[in-house]
Amino acid sequence: MKLNAKDIASGVVLILFAVVALWLNQDHALGSARRMGPGYMPMLVFYFVLFLGIMVLAIAFFNGPDPLERWTGLDAGSIALAVVAGTAAMWAAPQISSFFDANYGAFGLGLLVGFVVICWSLRWRAIGAICAGLCVFSLLLEKGGLMLALIATILVACMAEPEHRRRPLGILGITVFLLALCWWVFIKQLDIRVSVWPQF
Amino acid sequence: MDIIGNLAFGFGVALSFENLLFALIGALIGTAIGVLPGIGPVATISLLLPITFGQPATTAIIMLAGIYYGAQYGGSTTSILLNLPGEISSVVTTLEGYKMARNGRAGAALAISALGSFFAGSVATLVVAGSGPLLTQVALSFGPADYFSLMLLGLIISAVLAQGSVVKAIAMVGLGVALGLVGTDVQTGQQRFTFGIPELSDGVSFVALAMGLFGIAEIILNLERPEARSVLKTKVGSLWLTREEWKRATPSVLRGTALGSVLGILPGGGASLSAFGAYMLERKVSKGRHLFGTGAIEGVAGPEAANNAAAQTSFIPLLTLGIPSNAVMALMVGALIIQGIQPGPRMVEAQPDLFWGLIASMWIGNAMLLVINLPMIGMWVKLLQVPYKFLYPAILVFCAIGSYSTNNNVFDVYSTAIFAVVGYMFSKLKLEPAPLLIGFVLGPMMEEHLRRAMLLSRGDPMVFLERPISATMLAIGAIALAAMLMPNLRKGKEAAMAG
Repeated sequence: MKLNAKDIASGVVLILFAVVALWLNQDHALGSARRMGPGYMPMLVFYFVLFLGIMVLAIAFFNGPDPLERWTGLDAGSIALAVVAGTAAMWAAPQISSFFDANYGAFGLGLLVGFVVICWSLRWRAIGAICAGLCVFSLLLEKGGLMLALIATILVACMAEPEHRRRPLGILGITVFLLALCWWVFIKQLDIRVSVWPQF
Repeated sequence: MDIIGNLAFGFGVALSFENLLFALIGALIGTAIGVLPGIGPVATISLLLPITFGQPATTAIIMLAGIYYGAQYGGSTTSILLNLPGEISSVVTTLEGYKMARNGRAGAALAISALGSFFAGSVATLVVAGSGPLLTQVALSFGPADYFSLMLLGLIISAVLAQGSVVKAIAMVGLGVALGLVGTDVQTGQQRFTFGIPELSDGVSFVALAMGLFGIAEIILNLERPEARSVLKTKVGSLWLTREEWKRATPSVLRGTALGSVLGILPGGGASLSAFGAYMLERKVSKGRHLFGTGAIEGVAGPEAANNAAAQTSFIPLLTLGIPSNAVMALMVGALIIQGIQPGPRMVEAQPDLFWGLIASMWIGNAMLLVINLPMIGMWVKLLQVPYKFLYPAILVFCAIGSYSTNNNVFDVYSTAIFAVVGYMFSKLKLEPAPLLIGFVLGPMMEEHLRRAMLLSRGDPMVFLERPISATMLAIGAIALAAMLMPNLRKGKEAAMAG
């Protein structure tokens, strides 16, 4: 068999995307070819993507083999658990604290919990730690100020690299260096509108 | 004579203190990221986009352009000294360049790649200056139907020339166009696919998309690979070329410059394709072709000239037609739009300081790069000793602050994280993100032109075939697609891409 697993997965992703998008597009008036409504171009584009998805899927049966990386049970399990925990955290956030009320705080907490849980599997540790770093940054930035947000982000992101955990002194160095650099570039030079210190 | 007056005006703009400073900063950053493997111009430019908001448009574009062609200079250093390409466009330089270094001619290889790049850059700058205004004149006669077909052609060719499967690349273009649809419909004001999120009414954030797909996803992929950066063992040696080397390298530089200038203009072309093309050409026609594999200087000179020439000429479609030919140019469109400038044929007249100032700054930047790279080579070699584990937290924080400060909202930072996951998934499925970015930029413009064209033709789609310009574009697109479906041509492309 010359199955191309990567292309099969790509085709399925494309088809799913197109079908969901076409379903969402039912809200928009199509109009006519002469006077196109807001739904006309989306319709053309989504059918185009659907067609290509089917083509990718069809070709995938002949142009392989190109297998996907093999997942362990832990890899798949941590994704499932992350989705469940993330969704739960998102719903529970307003009950935990009013801290999460504004600025997509609940959504951010959900994402953060999801990305942290996914780090359970070694395979997802890099993606989990890096994206969790971004979420921590957004959650802390407006109330905690730039400095606190940066420290937290750097600490979380350093978990992605095993060597950092063996030598924590390096983390300290990079944190001090980046705090100084970001302060100089973004506050001193560019003067972006953000508080530097906590606003509690 | 007009062009000389215009160039003089351009030099006046480019020689202002601020523009000179930012051309230098761009060239320095470009060289640095070119030298460092694991971070490329697309990621760098997307993470610096938000920083350029406060600057005048001309200064911003001058700096961003400097990063792109600066990376072509820097990329060769790592290729030659470490057998590790700093950029995709310098992959082929490793083949002969590293062999030269092992023969003790590292200095000569570095010198010819810098000098060749400088020569190619100077010539290509003149090509941009000469052809820009001409193409602009042509473009002004374009109607909406012609524009639509031209953009379609651009998308098709960028997909055809992309790495990997053509069908998947076209699908990625489609996904990009689809993402570009999110937001307020320009003609009716209706919200499309915003899910009631106010931040999406202006569309998906360009900065978040580019940073997520390229910047953050790249960090994650780099972290998964174990670091393979050995400590430098090769000595640089003398930077002077022997008379024999000059004689062999000169024709290669000329050929590389010509090839790169042409391939750079093509949509989807740009630096990496040109370098591959020039390497194949040199292996076939150069006098030293029998020496390939043992450290032939032609194999360094040709591709290095070509990638830099292409880095300059790929600005032509952007500056004259408003159409980005590769992912870096898509970022430039983003930078211009954020500055309130709609890229297109009117830019030369409406923003002469931007057009001519950029051209003049390219030449100045190339001259700066020659100095930055040759006498200061030791400094860049030292930069290679910064391990990635210290580099990636810096990239991440810059991405975080950058994506936040674009619109001062945290929603964009969350979007960046989500697009990073998407970009990671794309790379695991061998889906190229570059065509997606081009589709995303061109999508909204295509929709507008399509609607206008169909309104003018009273709903008759034949208008695309009846107008000669439009019909020609569509014919070229069809031929390009058909050609890629032919098995032997596709094999040729695969061989070229594999280097």
